[in-house]
Formats: sequence, C-alpha cells, structure tokens
Amino acid sequence: MLKMHNIRKSYRTDTIETHALRDFSLEVNEGEFVSVTGPSGSGKTTFLNIAGLLETPTGGEYLLDGQEVGNLSDRERSRMRNEKIGFIFQGFNLIPDLNLFDNIDVPLRYRGFNGKERRRRIERALEQVGLSARAKHLPAQLSGGQQQRVAIARALAGEPRFLLADEPTGNLDSLMARQVMELLEFINEWGTTIVMVTHDPDLARRAQRNIQIVDGQVSDLRQSIAQQEIATA
Amino acid sequence: MIGYYISLALRSLRGTPILSALMIAAIAVGVGASMTVLTVNYMTSKNPLVDKDDQLYAVQLDGWDPNEAYNRGAKGNQMPWQLTYRDATALLRSDIPKRQVAMHKFGFTVSVDDAEVRPFVAVTRVTTRDFFALFDAPFQYGGTWEKSADESPKQVVVLSQATNEKLFGDKNSVGEVIQLNGEAFTVIGVLKEWNPSPKVYDLNNGHFQDSEELYIPFGLHRKFEIHSWGNNNGWNSDIAKGLTGYEAHLHSESVWIQYWVELENGAQKREYEEFLANHIRQQKEQGRFQRPLKFALSRPSEWLVMNEVLDHDSRVLAWCALAFLLVCVVNAIALLLAKFLRKAPEAGVRRALGASRQSIFVQHLMESSCIGVLGGIAGIGLALLGLTGVRVLAGGGFDRVAHMDWAMVFAAIGLAIVASLLAGLYPAWRISQTNPSIYLKTQ
Ligand SMILES: Nc1ncnc2c1ncn2[C@@H]1O[C@H](COP(=O)(O)OP(=O)(O)OP(=O)(O)O)[C@@H](O)[C@H]1O
Ligand SMILES: [Mg+2]
Repeated sequence: MLKMHNIRKSYRTDTIETHALRDFSLEVNEGEFVSVTGPSGSGKTTFLNIAGLLETPTGGEYLLDGQEVGNLSDRERSRMRNEKIGFIFQGFNLIPDLNLFDNIDVPLRYRGFNGKERRRRIERALEQVGLSARAKHLPAQLSGGQQQRVAIARALAGEPRFLLADEPTGNLDSLMARQVMELLEFINEWGTTIVMVTHDPDLARRAQRNIQIVDGQVSDLRQSIAQQEIATA
Repeated sequence: MIGYYISLALRSLRGTPILSALMIAAIAVGVGASMTVLTVNYMTSKNPLVDKDDQLYAVQLDGWDPNEAYNRGAKGNQMPWQLTYRDATALLRSDIPKRQVAMHKFGFTVSVDDAEVRPFVAVTRVTTRDFFALFDAPFQYGGTWEKSADESPKQVVVLSQATNEKLFGDKNSVGEVIQLNGEAFTVIGVLKEWNPSPKVYDLNNGHFQDSEELYIPFGLHRKFEIHSWGNNNGWNSDIAKGLTGYEAHLHSESVWIQYWVELENGAQKREYEEFLANHIRQQKEQGRFQRPLKFALSRPSEWLVMNEVLDHDSRVLAWCALAFLLVCVVNAIALLLAKFLRKAPEAGVRRALGASRQSIFVQHLMESSCIGVLGGIAGIGLALLGLTGVRVLAGGGFDRVAHMDWAMVFAAIGLAIVASLLAGLYPAWRISQTNPSIYLKTQ
C-alpha cells in the first residue's frame, strides 16, 4: 500500500537546516493498522505529511498504491489525496463556519459527486459516527470527542483506502479517546489501512504493528517499546 | 463547482459583514466616481451622425473682416461658423449636393382653438425641406414640405413628437391648423421622438440642447421678418446701398444661417468645392470676400472637435477618476489579503481534503468577483446619484448628457468585476501557494 525508501526531508531556515527525516524507509501493507510513536520533534508529523502528499520529500522514493508519486503535478497529487487518503488531525480541523453536513461535504465536492450521491454518503458517514441528529450543528456546538468523530466521518465519506491520523486522541480525555480508538478499529476491520501517530502507549499497543521514529529514522520497535515501558514504569 | 464557490463566497462575506461592507464600499466608491465622469465623457463624445460621417459636411465661407480673421472658438478654423443670408440663398441654387440644408433657430407663440391648451412659446427651426432626410429625423405622420416652400411663403409646419402630444394627444394631426403668432399654419408632418445629442446640427447655443418643437419652411423669412433666435455675428455695420429695415438685414454681412450639405462621394465633393471657390471668386468681383479665398467642408466628427464638444478637461477628469478607482482597488487588495490570510487554516484543511492549488485560487477569485458584482451594483447607484448631482449643479444644460444608458450600466458592472478580479488576483494567489501542513498541526 505504502512504500518509502530512503526518504529525506530537511527544512532550511535562514541559519539552520533541520533534518526532519533521514534515510527513512518503511512499508505498510494493505489492511494494516500501524501505530507510530516517538519523542516530540522526531519527525512523526513530517512522515504523515509526506505519506499524505501534503509535503514533498527532499529525496528518496515513495510509492503509494504502487505508484511513484515523486513527479506528480499538484493537481494529480490533490486528486490522489482526495480519492485515496483520509486525514484525521489532533486539532480536528473542522471548518468553523460550516455545519457538520457541509464539513463532510467538502472532500465530496472536490471529488465531483452529484448532490444525491453526496447526501447519501454524508448521511451514512454521520450515522457511522453516531451524529446523524446533529447534521445542522456548527462544530463549536459539539464536544471535542464529537468533533473528532465528525472529522473521522469527513475522512470516511470518500471511502479512502488509507487513513492517516496524527494524534487523533491527543486532545481528548481517556473515555473519549477509547471511543475514537474503537471507531478506528472498526473502520480498519472493514479493510481501511490506518497509520496512526500517538503518544499513548496503550493505544499504540492495540494496533497490529507499532513503529517508533527516533531522530527522523525508524528505530527497532521491540526494543523501543521495551525502553518505553521501563521509562513509564 | 462554480456554484459551490459562489455559495462559499456569499457565506464568507456574511461571516465578516463589516469587512465585506468595507471592501464593497471601496469598489463601489471607485466605480461610482469613475462612472459618473466616464458617463458624462462618453455621452458628450458621442457623434449621433456617425453613420453619415463621410457624407455630411458643414459649410463655412470666409467672408469676414479683411483686417481681422474670425477668432471665436479656440479650436475653430478662423472662419465664421455660420453664413450670411445672401450666401446661403446663393448656395441653395446649386444642384450638386444630394441634399442641402440652410437653417437657423427661431421661436413662435403657439395657440390652438382648444381652450384646454394654453398658448406657449415653441422653439422653432426655420429650414429648407431636406433637413429631415439629411439628419435622419424620422416621421411618424406625414412628411416634409415641397421645394417651392423654401423660396416662397407657405404656411405649413412639422411638429415634434412632444409638441404633437401636447397639442393633439399624439393622434395623427396632419391637416390640422395651428396658430403661430396668430397666423394659421397647417400641420403637414409629425416627427417621431428625435433628439440627437450632442446637437451636432446646431452647436451655437449649447451643445446638448433639445431639438426644436416646430419646423417651418425657409421661404417664410420676408413674410414674417424672421430674425435668428440663435447667434448672430457681424463685422460690417455699413448698410447695403439703398436698403432699409428687414431687407437690409437680409443683405448685410451678418452671419446667422447654418449650412449643411450631403455629398455622396469624393467626385461630388470635389465638384462642390469647385462650386464654392467659384462663388467666392464671383463675390470678390462684387467687392465682397476681401480676405484670401477660403472655405471649409467639415464632417460631423470634425465639427464636434472644432466646436469643443469633446472637451479636454473632461478627459483629464476621466483619467483622474480612473486613478481614483486604482486607489480604491489597492485598498481592496489590502483588505482582501487580510481577510484571505485569516482564512488560511481553512484553505489548509481544504488542501488536505483534496483541493488543488488551482481550486483554492479559483474559490478565492470567485469571492472577490462577488465583491465586484455587489460593488458594481452599489457603484451604479452612486454613479446615478453623482449624475443627479451633475444635473443639479449644471442647472439644465446637462440634462441630456448626465444619464446612463445600458451600455454604461454594463460598463460599470464590467469595470467593477475587472477591478475586483485585479484586486483579488494577488491575495488569491498568495493563499493558494501557502503550505497546508503548517496550518494543520494544531488549532
Ligand atoms: N515547517 C517547518 N519548518 C522548519 N522546521 C520544521 C517544520 N516542520 C517541522 N520542522 C522540524 O522538523 C522536526 C520534526 O518535526 P515534526 O513535526 O515531524 O515532529 P513530531 O514528531 O510530529 O513532533 P510532535 O510529537 O511534537 O508532534 C522538528 O525538529 C521540527 O522543528
Ligand atoms: Mg506531530
């Protein structure tokens, strides 16, 4: 599904050059649920942004769904993002002046679906996250957990094969976090590949596979989980 | 997709009503001010005879003071604008032009046998019969008089549409009799609504006056001792030998007759020029036309420039108005930029959800076009207000000019959209280029 080989990403500001990722290699198979952990600033978000075609790597190879994405135009990348990838962010990132219905509508508009098809998908997505009754509400009228469920519904409405989640539970209390996690597991069972960045070792362990990023590289995972357990103990 | 962008734009405008109002106002004020000036400019620089611009010519002869050239009008050609009665009647004898008109302005007191219509003074054109065909004045009923009426008195009259409306309630009044200064005149024709602006055929008394209310034959001069109600200039106060009273006036060197000819082609024009030169030579033999031999045939477009209908000041003003519009556009750019950059996080989310740079660009450009359309409509309102102001300040002289026709309304909306697209171009480009990932980390 996703195959990265020797990906590099560096940010250059006036004086310093930050290597957010270096020689980053990773493979994620179709249908997997992968959790990503690692210290702050290690490059987790950078990895997700590159995986989700929001940023281009400085070097290396990236194949998404078997296709090399390095030379695609902005329009082609946007289209791939729209059709194949769903995003969930720590900050929910709903559009504040659109109600839930219209928020979920956004990716479907860029997809070019007709009105009937959009409505069908929006209603089903809202149903999946249990918020059908709130379709006309604005994001600010919902709790944080509810907002994140709307964001998940928005990511699901386009039926992406690949879901990228950056600390989806980071802003939620543990009960809400568990609900969101259960929702993600449910989605994964239906076949969607998920990569989720998290700081919570319990949640990380619930995934089929955990990788750890340290200093812009994938480090050995068994060892790192063991280390973390020592640290938290 | 465009429909989606428009609904997003309207939602966004409603979301920030004050900022939106400011942007719309910036465009509206710029458009309103420039359209006021441009409308006056456009209406004054119209040539209502443009279709016959290569066939009609105003005739001038230089029979002025041997010691001093005629020098009224800065852009004139140092020849009197009008002809003497003697020369006009002499030129009328030529059969070279397809049509020719000798004429001037006059006025009559009009009364009818209807107690409900009170007598009133009507501005009248005293003219030869070709006037209507030469200047394309259309008839509603009847037609012009026969040729003999241009030489010997015949009491017939053609009414303007408005006069017929006033006297006969718009019905076909051909054959009715009206009293002009107490004399009976028979109506032989009624014009349709006709009001060329500027009034090219007679620019002597204001460039934008209404057309006359009555038209009577040129052959009536002696019978009614008709003087001109328009300009009447002279340089030689010597009374022609042995003549007194009105006959002396007709033979004087005073110029008060406007003269136009319709010439079909270059050959005809050359032939007519030869005729004019010969006329002057003959007059020289009789002791008139002591200046160097000079005459002019001017097309309507040239005539408008010579008579300064196309005013240089108003052009400068038009440029100032456009410069003012530019200032407003720059203002709108600043406001739009502020607004769009504040919405950058939303654009970031849209990018993540599949919007290309291009769709973000188009979405924001649509938003500025909506501002443009609203600003344009408001701008038309302001321009109408401005034009009312012009009319009030000018006290009547500009009534015909200071109003918008449809071309100008569309021009205003077009100007507003172009202005707002220009204003929106840079801000929309800026927001479409921002990297979405930096807005997605946290809120
Ligand atoms: N736009 C940017 N410009 C410059 N440096 C950046 C930029 N984005 C990220 N970085 C740097 O790249 C490195 C990796 O950042 P990244 O956001 O991927 O870390 P992270 O693992 O997601 O951290 P956290 O757990 O705190 O979210 C950091 O050192 C960061 O300062
Ligand atoms: Mg991060």
